[in-house]
Amino acid sequence: MAAAVPGASGARATAALLLLLLLLLGCCGAALAGSPQDQAEQFFRSGHTNNWAVLVCTSRFWFNYRHVANTLSVYRSVKRLGIPDSHIVLMLADDMACNPRNPKPATVFSHKNMELNVYGDDVEVDYRSYEVTVENFLRVLTGRIPPSTPRSKRLLSDDRSNILIYMTGHGGNGFLKFQDSEEITNVELADAFEQMWQKRRYNELLFIIDTCQGASMYERFYSPNIMALASSQVGEDSLSHQPDLGIGVHLMDRYTFYVLEFLEEIHPASQTNMNDLFQVCPKSLCVSTPGHRTDLFQRDPQKVLITDFFGSVRKVEITTETLSLERDVAGFESKFPEEELATEPLKYAEQLPVAQIIHQKPKQKDWHPPGGFILGLWALIIMVFFKTYGIKHMKHVF
Amino acid sequence: MAAPLVLVVLAAVTVRAALYRSSLAVFIAERVEVASPLNAWKRVVEGLALLDLGVSPYSGAIFHETPLIIYLFHFLIEYAELVFMITDVLTAVALYLAIQDFNKVVFKKQKLLIELDKYAPDVAELIQTPMEMHYIPLKVALFYLLNPYTVMSCVAKSTCAINNSVIAFFILATIKGSAFLSAVFLALATYQSLYPLTLFAPALLYLLQRQFIPIKLKSKSFWLYTTQYASLYLCSLVVIICLSFFLLNSWDFIPSVYGFILSVPDLTPNIGLFWYFFAEMFEHFSLFFVCVFQINVFFYTIPLAIKLKEHPVFFMFVQLAIISIFKSYPTLGDVALYMALLPVWSHLYRFLRNIFILSCVLIFCSFLFPVLWHLWIYAGSANSNFYYAITLTFNIGQILLISDYFYAFLRREYYLTHGLHLTRQDGTEAMLVLK
Repeated sequence: MAAAVPGASGARATAALLLLLLLLLGCCGAALAGSPQDQAEQFFRSGHTNNWAVLVCTSRFWFNYRHVANTLSVYRSVKRLGIPDSHIVLMLADDMACNPRNPKPATVFSHKNMELNVYGDDVEVDYRSYEVTVENFLRVLTGRIPPSTPRSKRLLSDDRSNILIYMTGHGGNGFLKFQDSEEITNVELADAFEQMWQKRRYNELLFIIDTCQGASMYERFYSPNIMALASSQVGEDSLSHQPDLGIGVHLMDRYTFYVLEFLEEIHPASQTNMNDLFQVCPKSLCVSTPGHRTDLFQRDPQKVLITDFFGSVRKVEITTETLSLERDVAGFESKFPEEELATEPLKYAEQLPVAQIIHQKPKQKDWHPPGGFILGLWALIIMVFFKTYGIKHMKHVF
Repeated sequence: MAAPLVLVVLAAVTVRAALYRSSLAVFIAERVEVASPLNAWKRVVEGLALLDLGVSPYSGAIFHETPLIIYLFHFLIEYAELVFMITDVLTAVALYLAIQDFNKVVFKKQKLLIELDKYAPDVAELIQTPMEMHYIPLKVALFYLLNPYTVMSCVAKSTCAINNSVIAFFILATIKGSAFLSAVFLALATYQSLYPLTLFAPALLYLLQRQFIPIKLKSKSFWLYTTQYASLYLCSLVVIICLSFFLLNSWDFIPSVYGFILSVPDLTPNIGLFWYFFAEMFEHFSLFFVCVFQINVFFYTIPLAIKLKEHPVFFMFVQLAIISIFKSYPTLGDVALYMALLPVWSHLYRFLRNIFILSCVLIFCSFLFPVLWHLWIYAGSANSNFYYAITLTFNIGQILLISDYFYAFLRREYYLTHGLHLTRQDGTEAMLVLK
């Protein structure tokens, strides 16, 4: 007995040592695998599973060409980075491409010398021309849409959606002009976002606005998880970039131009974060001072990827298991037995009995002036007549 | 003179009948320039249909005609086109007879003043001769019947034609000198649309002149005659309004007709000045500005009466023009009435300063009205400012036309008494200006 105990204790000690070693290895391994784990962690940190974009151009008429070009350029970038048309609500006046004043019909250029046509033949405009109203915009955002609205016009976001909202047009201190006939105020916009938050319609929201005094539009936001960027502060005007002498109008606004230059370098896998976006277009290039607001946003902007909002980076889970899918054929056949009903041939009901109407007698008038009135009137007329022409004419009458 | 008048009447009736049968009738009937909320034919038909259904036509905000119009069209609605053509013809004939009489009066007065040596020696060329005055009544009838404004108004079946005819009969009665008939027709005209109230002053002045009663405030006969005429007028007005009560047994028509004219609630665009202004007005100030605008119509009566007391018929003409420019819902039919009287003062042509530009402005604006309406309402590439600009220009043209005629008239009168070649104190040639 005495001989087995030391062996057992030795084995136990070895086992314990091995266990320790294994633990250590495990820890080391864990420590070593810290970077992919961190990466994986970061991958899931933003918490969103789908991306939406609402791009609104609030101006119409030929001289507001640049606003349409702005919106279409952002639309192109957002599509390029992966958000599909079904997840983009594009609201445009859409009167540029086929405007009689457009020297190059069916095109909208965003760069001078007509280098880049952002219109093309695969632009899907969801709200066009007179449908771009404050009411429709707010209905899109809050989801309070009549049941007959088609899917392409709805913002079907949920509480795991990251939404990019881009607005451009003419604005002022606290309002944004829609189609030269109405305005949306910053209070209305803030309330709409709060409705979205309460209805769990977004996970995080990025609001970009490129108008004069754009910063006033995000002053009133009070819902969480909103980050906002604007092209100019209150009291400043956002300026346009460059006119094209061939087309005759300014093609883009400065802020959006430089944002787009920045976005051209982004690809779906890039790790550029929001702080870089805040640096886009300093005052020397933009003349106005771009502003941003991050106090409502819960994550650190440094950790927020551009593709969290501008792209649609799917979370992909790779598995090596095989799954077999079998068709359940048997259940389908007996569902719809052929019904044979003897039906009469259908015809229209007699809605307008023409023959009856033609031969109708004219309706009797139901109202007649009261006898007293007629009597009084004619008595007056006769009195006036005889007063004028003298009573002696009476004998000529009778 | 009867034969040319009959020819003119026939031509006018043919034009109107042709237009009634063409497709333009529907187009013209919808134009806002001839059909205002007060006198559109659609509203008359609507009111009568409501009456057939047992509802008072004044219960909604559609019908703003007086009960006498209800009575008239209740029996004549199937012959509406004939009624309007006959009304136009009656207006023209009334104006013809009135101007014929007026010419006689003018000629008599002129002869009297020449014999009394009231005229300066060198004004022979300014004096009107019977030869040149011979065709004026025919021209007046012609101007009224064949004026495109009148034709369009008739084709649109706007009851403005009836208003015009009542005013024409009033003018005829006044010029013939019958105070009673003049008061009755003036009461009818006021009852139809409120503004002919201002024609009381020129009619009174004319009748006083005709009775040779001097217009002095201290003279007893002046006040006697004035009270007589005023009481005739007011009595007939009261009688007509009371009679209208018995048509529908309600006083509904007073707010619907007169309340509507005075408070201007309907801001459909027309050729007047009220609609745009009140469309932009805040509620807070609208009462004040309604009062200001309405006073503006009545305001010119007294100064004009003081200035033109020797020339009441010209005063009547200017007053008619002021009514049709400044009333709350003017239409082209109102414009046509005072334009018909322009040939009476064709002898002022040599003193008119801006007649070419003004006629161009008026013709241009008349053509631009439908164009800018189409651009605003149908094409959507203009807005109400464009249409209002043309309205403004048209009214400015009219105002300048009237003030031009006013200036020319006064200038001629001055020349008649002071001679044609005016010199200043130092001997250089002088020029008359209207201060």
